[in-house]
Amino acid sequence: MNRVFVMLTLCGPLLICAVAILPGMLTSSGAFRSAETATIAVAGADNPTLAMMETMLLPEKITLVPSHGSIALLQDEIAEGTIDGYLNIPKGNAGEPIEFVSKNMTDFRIRDNLQIAAGKALLTRRLAEAGIQELDADSMLRVHPFEMAHLNINRTTEKSPDFTMILTTSLIFASLLYLTILFYGQVVGRSVLMEKTNKTVEILLSSVRPIDILFGKIFGNALASLLQYGIWISVSVALLKFIGPRFGVSLGIALTAETFIYLVVYFILAYFLYCSIYATLGAASRDEQQLAQISWPVIIILIVPLMLITAIISSPQAPVIFALSLFPLTAPIVMFIRILLGAANGTEIFASIFLMMVATGGCIALSTKIFSACILLNGKTIKLETVFSMFQPHSGERKIK
Amino acid sequence: MIEVQSVSKQYGPHYAVSKLSFTSTEGKIFGLLGPNGAGKSTVIKMLMNVLVPDAGRVLLNGKLIREADKDRIGYLPEERGLYRNVKINEMLLFLASLKNGNTASAEKNLDDWLIRFGLMEWKNKTVETLSKGMSQKVQFIAAILHDPEFMFFDEPFSGLDPVSADLLEDAILDLASKGKNIILSTHNMEIAEKLCSSVIIIDHGKEVLSGSIAEIKSNFNQRTVSVEFDGRLDSESLLKMTRSISTLQRSTQIELADGVEPDFLLRKLIDQVSIRKFEIVVPSLHKIYVDLVGEAEYA
Repeated sequence: MNRVFVMLTLCGPLLICAVAILPGMLTSSGAFRSAETATIAVAGADNPTLAMMETMLLPEKITLVPSHGSIALLQDEIAEGTIDGYLNIPKGNAGEPIEFVSKNMTDFRIRDNLQIAAGKALLTRRLAEAGIQELDADSMLRVHPFEMAHLNINRTTEKSPDFTMILTTSLIFASLLYLTILFYGQVVGRSVLMEKTNKTVEILLSSVRPIDILFGKIFGNALASLLQYGIWISVSVALLKFIGPRFGVSLGIALTAETFIYLVVYFILAYFLYCSIYATLGAASRDEQQLAQISWPVIIILIVPLMLITAIISSPQAPVIFALSLFPLTAPIVMFIRILLGAANGTEIFASIFLMMVATGGCIALSTKIFSACILLNGKTIKLETVFSMFQPHSGERKIK
Repeated sequence: MIEVQSVSKQYGPHYAVSKLSFTSTEGKIFGLLGPNGAGKSTVIKMLMNVLVPDAGRVLLNGKLIREADKDRIGYLPEERGLYRNVKINEMLLFLASLKNGNTASAEKNLDDWLIRFGLMEWKNKTVETLSKGMSQKVQFIAAILHDPEFMFFDEPFSGLDPVSADLLEDAILDLASKGKNIILSTHNMEIAEKLCSSVIIIDHGKEVLSGSIAEIKSNFNQRTVSVEFDGRLDSESLLKMTRSISTLQRSTQIELADGVEPDFLLRKLIDQVSIRKFEIVVPSLHKIYVDLVGEAEYA
């Protein structure tokens, strides 16, 4: 427990909250808005339509000016900076598109607000022409709220979190796992490599077995990382719960007591699986450069579920997603997301955990043998038959030839 | 007692150790000698149950060596391996704790050994602050702090100045006198001759020679005499009865040819020079080793 570890543990929650709250604060405060006001010329709109749009857009600081000039004139005005863009409202009701032209197409605030205002204004115009007044149109076009509920195993329903909450929770868990394995996995790998190159392991092997050294490395780092994460998560959740809403940022997470238990189980299993892989890579490496190079496949495998998150959430029962939820290296993230969605039954969850445990056990056994071979044959080329020969059971007694 | 019975260790087609046998007893220092790459470290790893022999067996006090026997073994590796950023006392007590030893006893022993080696003021410093020789002494303490029954020292004097080497020698002799079973692996023959009661010389994994130092020396052909004289020696007249004549600063060493006895040479020399000293040279272990291993190397 050195000073860096203590400082990182204490400052971690503050950093997490800053990352979680600040972007939302800044976005809502308008710090990222490119311009305070925008002036948009409107061509082809009648007065009632224009008035309606002005009312909707005034709070967004978008000023509309009617235009009767040609398109070329409007384009000149954009180029000169007199206006920020123009809207070309179609005259008929045949579904022609509303055209918005501007130099800056990335300001989604202006774009989205114009789209909503123009769309509503034209809809109101069409309804008025059909003899339906605005107030009646509003009530007729009111969208019914749509709620999802999950049916539990005991036949009760509970409100299901929405897509955003599930996506947020999935991203947080996947990122947490990814960063943990990336950081602590490499710590384990480097630690094994350091002991091998320092020859410290020769002294240790005179006292304990290779599997004890390996387990010690993984468990020691596990306890340190779990302690650190425990502090980070509990303090961060408390800060976000009480401080976040004061800044207008609420972080909804789709976690229940049951899913939290699964989170812990998959986190621990993934940690041990990947750390045993990193320990093997550390034992097999000559130096840190080689360790970094041969760690790439592990990192790539870790990234796959992150890249597929939206696909997993959208189609949790797809064959590929189902297979990835059982494959030990990707199961922690994929199966956890399926659990969040309520798309995995008890058998699948049990199978996934069982396969992970088998894979972890097998990996640790393989890691131990390769670790032993690489440590004891340090400096010599490690051949597969040497590693396999270490799997053969021995009684400590050999025939005297 | 440590009994090594015909052990072999093979890596692919290469035999690191081949049918090696020897016995080491309590209260004695046994020398495991050989050039670099002879297989000494492999033998020691088999003695510690870190490597399992492909053939033969290792017995400690008549029983096959087991994992639990590691607690009774102290090991000083050839290459130093200490945690550099850990305090000396913490590291030594940690390594002793791995041997399931008595913590209180280890703490007391720690202070005694640090005082003995003049390292008491470094007790709370980290290893990286120590010189090479001091690290070696700390490493030695790590090997014996838990008061093991069996001790294996691999090149313990490497990197030590003469004063520290003397300290370590005294410590090893002291431990042997207390009944510890010590195996010393080295390629320094002077050290081996000084400390060991019996040795085995290995080369390319095989035994070249073994036995007590006295037996080895007495069995080795004593074909060299050392002569101090006044006058001028006629070397040509001695050609048929000698293999080589080496003139040193204060004496001349003459290696006899086969079949020539020392007293015959003496009579010949008396006719030529005035002899002040005539001595049959007992070969050093170094000379025996070089002759044997050198022959094997070029055989």
